[in-house]
Amino acid sequence: MAAAVRGRRFKWSLELAAAPGGRPRGAAEGRGPLGFAERQLGEGGVHESDKILMEKRCWDVALAPLKQIPMNLFIMYMAGNTISIFPAMMVCMMGWRPLQALMSLSATLKALESSSRRALQGLVFLVGNGLGLALALYKCQAMGLLPTRPSDWLAFVAPPQRMEFTGGGLIL
Amino acid sequence: MKIKWASSTGECWGKAGVSPPRLLQAGPGPAVLPPAAAARRACPLPPPQRGAPLSRLTLARLFSPRRQQYVGKLKFASLEASQGSKKLIVATEKNVVAALNSRSGEILWRHVDKGTPEGAIDAMMIHGQDAITVSNAGRILRSWETNIGGLNWEMSLDTGSFQVASLVGLQDVVKYVAVLKKAAISLHYLSNGHQKWVEHLPESESTQYQLLYSHGTGVIHVLGIVPQSHLNILTFSVEDGEITKQVIRVAAPWLKSLNGVCSVVGEAVLVCMDMGTHSLYVCSLETEQEMKQIPLQSLDLEFADGFQPRILATQPNVISPSRTQFFLQLSPSHFSLLQYKHGLLSHLRDFQQAALVSFATTGEKTVAAVLTCRSELKPGSSDDLHAGGTLEDSRKQESLTCSNQTYNINLYLVETGQRLLDTTITFTLEQSGAKPQQLYIQVFLKKDDSVGYRALVQTEDHMLIFLQQPGKVVWSREESLAEVVSLEMVDLPLTGAQAELEGEFGKKADGLLGMFLKRLSSQLILLQAWTAHLWKMFYDARKPRSQIKNEINIDNLARDEFNLQKMMVMVTASGKLFGIESSSGTILWKQYLRNVKPGSSFKLMVQRTTAHFPHPPQCTLLVKDRETKMSFLYVFNPIFGKRSQVAPPVLKRPILQTLLLPIMDQDYAKVLLLIDDEYKVTAFPATKNVLRQLEEIAHSIFFYLVDAEQGKLSGFRLKKDLTTEESWEVIIPTEVQRIVTVKGKRSSEHVHSQGRVMGDRSVLYKSLNPNLLAVVTESTDTHHERTFIGIYLIDGVTGRIIHSSVQKKAKGPVHMVHSENWVVYQYWNTKARRNEFTVLELYEGTEQYNATAFSSLDRPILPQVLQQSYIFPSAISAMEATITERGITSRHLLIGLPSGAILSLPKALLDPRRPEIPTEQSREENLIPYSPDVQIHAERFINYNQTISRMRGIYTAPSGLESTCLVVAYGLDIYQTRVYPSKQFDVLKDDYDYVLISSVLFGLVFATMITKRLAQVKLLNRAWR
Repeated sequence: MAAAVRGRRFKWSLELAAAPGGRPRGAAEGRGPLGFAERQLGEGGVHESDKILMEKRCWDVALAPLKQIPMNLFIMYMAGNTISIFPAMMVCMMGWRPLQALMSLSATLKALESSSRRALQGLVFLVGNGLGLALALYKCQAMGLLPTRPSDWLAFVAPPQRMEFTGGGLIL
Repeated sequence: MKIKWASSTGECWGKAGVSPPRLLQAGPGPAVLPPAAAARRACPLPPPQRGAPLSRLTLARLFSPRRQQYVGKLKFASLEASQGSKKLIVATEKNVVAALNSRSGEILWRHVDKGTPEGAIDAMMIHGQDAITVSNAGRILRSWETNIGGLNWEMSLDTGSFQVASLVGLQDVVKYVAVLKKAAISLHYLSNGHQKWVEHLPESESTQYQLLYSHGTGVIHVLGIVPQSHLNILTFSVEDGEITKQVIRVAAPWLKSLNGVCSVVGEAVLVCMDMGTHSLYVCSLETEQEMKQIPLQSLDLEFADGFQPRILATQPNVISPSRTQFFLQLSPSHFSLLQYKHGLLSHLRDFQQAALVSFATTGEKTVAAVLTCRSELKPGSSDDLHAGGTLEDSRKQESLTCSNQTYNINLYLVETGQRLLDTTITFTLEQSGAKPQQLYIQVFLKKDDSVGYRALVQTEDHMLIFLQQPGKVVWSREESLAEVVSLEMVDLPLTGAQAELEGEFGKKADGLLGMFLKRLSSQLILLQAWTAHLWKMFYDARKPRSQIKNEINIDNLARDEFNLQKMMVMVTASGKLFGIESSSGTILWKQYLRNVKPGSSFKLMVQRTTAHFPHPPQCTLLVKDRETKMSFLYVFNPIFGKRSQVAPPVLKRPILQTLLLPIMDQDYAKVLLLIDDEYKVTAFPATKNVLRQLEEIAHSIFFYLVDAEQGKLSGFRLKKDLTTEESWEVIIPTEVQRIVTVKGKRSSEHVHSQGRVMGDRSVLYKSLNPNLLAVVTESTDTHHERTFIGIYLIDGVTGRIIHSSVQKKAKGPVHMVHSENWVVYQYWNTKARRNEFTVLELYEGTEQYNATAFSSLDRPILPQVLQQSYIFPSAISAMEATITERGITSRHLLIGLPSGAILSLPKALLDPRRPEIPTEQSREENLIPYSPDVQIHAERFINYNQTISRMRGIYTAPSGLESTCLVVAYGLDIYQTRVYPSKQFDVLKDDYDYVLISSVLFGLVFATMITKRLAQVKLLNRAWR
């Protein structure tokens, strides 16, 4: 770039050092100094690769939750269904992360704005997080942390109202 | 030895009503708090393990559960004659031999024999340091060492109905005891109980031998009677039992029985009283062969019509002749002191208005003690307490009451009938009208040779009073508490300040200003109470801790924060009611119902609790006489023991059963329905409001009556006009089996959880039928191969038999607990010869038929019944389940063992779902794998070493704390404690470190404040830079 600039800035130049061959280096050809590249680094080329990169990044962002899933599955499998502090923490994290991601969905979508297929990416991101959440819920369910059974609501069942009154016993 | 040793080393609850219980102190330390303060902290029981910190132990000991020990109504008593003696030896109708400390009334030692007639004590004699008792209808002769209560010896005697026993002396030494039975007389050595000789009595089929007499002359006179014909007098030689003289056929055609009518006075002179001819008959046993008639008119004496006269003589020492003086009772309140000496009958003194007489001897002096009413004796006073009009009439004849209940005891010299000066004891009984029934006198000679004495008086209501000159009550004991028949616990009232506040809300509104003023005044009163409280605290803090007494009396009764102290209302078999404060055991009030005959049945109900402030709490006692079948209601305030102003209905027909409805009248009294033998219903209270409410809900009120004699269970439906119609009937044929127990559920029971969570997290719903009855029958055939017990679960509304099972080769007595959705019963397995428990549980299944309302009339599906049995290593004397306010706490069974211990057994051990092979799911459910034997672990005894003799029942009541259940066990003793079936989950631990926690908390608050300040300063500095 420096050479190119120089080349542009100076209208003329003097070659003081003769070429070893005695022949001047042909100013007509306008050869540049060492490292000078004739071909301009096309603006369009740089733009092209940036776009691809951007796209890739966006896909990375969109696919990240999905990529987490196998890992989560493995962790889930290893943690087992007993309720103790570590599995509980893991489940919490597993549930919390997708939730957090979903809450900052707008920010993520903004980041994806530059992508051409941002609708699809957004959807994939959503689905991935949704799957992550579902997985966490499934884990909760498997661990028995979700109040889904009637037994979980048993303590709130009111005693049935008594319709008849009886009394008596052995004759006094 | 068959007798259970029940030493009274444990601390006694103190004498009833005399002094508050001593606070026990296990050691020095700051732990001595007044009971109320500690109750607020709700101290737990001491943990059974050793090495608990001292402060904890002291606290626990201080408020350790209390036991009161009793002996029962006296049958025989002996007050030792020497002045320095400190004990009374008593034998009671509860088959107890005991020694009481004559200074304090505490039990020195006590032996409790069987409660059945087998243990009944027929006679007691005192010889020196030994007490000789005859028990089990003359089968067992025992000698007790009276100082420590040890058994000297025990002999079993031949069978034969026991008549009388007497000590026999020979030449100034008392060496033998003679026992007279229907057909034989035997003589035993006092030193070892061995039999010296036994002789058969002639003509024992026709002759009733009833009297035994000896006076140290080497012979024993035995008197037999052929009723309305003649007397037989036999004389046995003490040495070899030979009949030395036999006088038969002494004509006495007027004589029916010797007991009471005849007595031996002087040197073997028989004196008999004949009602028909109004004369005395006299006959010397040694010389004469005929009875000499002495008409009473010659002495200017007359006796009341229809009264069986009695003769009371005394023989101070068995080796010397009887006194020649004797009492003749001419009417219930008229006694005469007579003398028969040298063939002459003389009249010494007349005692009008005397209630009781007694002889007592010290050294050579014999005195007669006469208990008289200070004012005039009146026949059954009209201002009587009770409404039972007919009962009263029937008793008017015999009841002579002393109008002001003040009595005098005077001593008279027997030889002359002169009154001894300065020997009057004056005492006043409670106004409730119990008469003195027994009088025992302990006489001693003072230093100046005058006579001093103490008196033991037993009243009709089984109260023992020990009196000293000149009328000081040394101690008193409420022995009727040895037979509690019914018990309820009532909340204590609110304090004055709380009540004031409650009252403010209870009153009707009268304008803004009025309300405001009322609020101000009540706040003022609160302030006043608070300052008084502070002042008291300040005042108490200055006193040494040991002096602070938290005396509980009727004026400072107030509910504690957690409602742990309650009023125990006890009904005793004698008809005396007691109000006992549960934490200290102090008797706060007592009330004797004079109309109650022994053997009546009682039913005690709490109609209004203390929760409805301006209205006083109200208890109702239904008393039904066993013979006349008549019943009456006694309505009283359970806190103060006063009879209520509310007039109970007069019951004209015998009442069969009662039902306490949850509906209330405008004064918040629950409605009590009484069903009589014509199946008509009486409501109490019977205001218009109540009748209207009753009319509305009459269709949903049902009665069930169980007639055990006819083997009939029947159900009745209430109609709007308060009559009933029979709706069902179940007959259990009495030829095969008889109904022994019927148990419904407690109406106050609260079940928190409607089902059980299974291992797969589904719900198994409980079948909670509030109308369910559990009926237990026993077979009439008691052969061990054929005997069985039956259990029926019957719906009380429809009569539907929900479950029935027959347990073959099983025998009663059956103890049963019926609660929630389960029934636990215990019986004797005759085949395996062991005690067994069976538990039945009822479940609706995984779906509830109707979750909002329970109606017995709409139950298409029968519940599933699960059943399991267990072996229990001991017999049972009482069983009850714990109960708590909300029913969240797990349940325990409290099992009273014959040893006197109370075992607290988790219900989880008696659970029909216990799996034989544990699975994943059963583990998930925390089910204990089934093992047939339920073990008795000593650490599960909630009463430690405070055993309860002859336990008859356990009563449980909820407290204000969900974790805590109050327990009262009663029998011969009364014991009160608290249990925590699920530990104290709602109470801070005793060793909770308040100081540390609060200091950390304050430290953190300070740190926050300081750092905040620092941060501000730093920010400011930065801003300046």
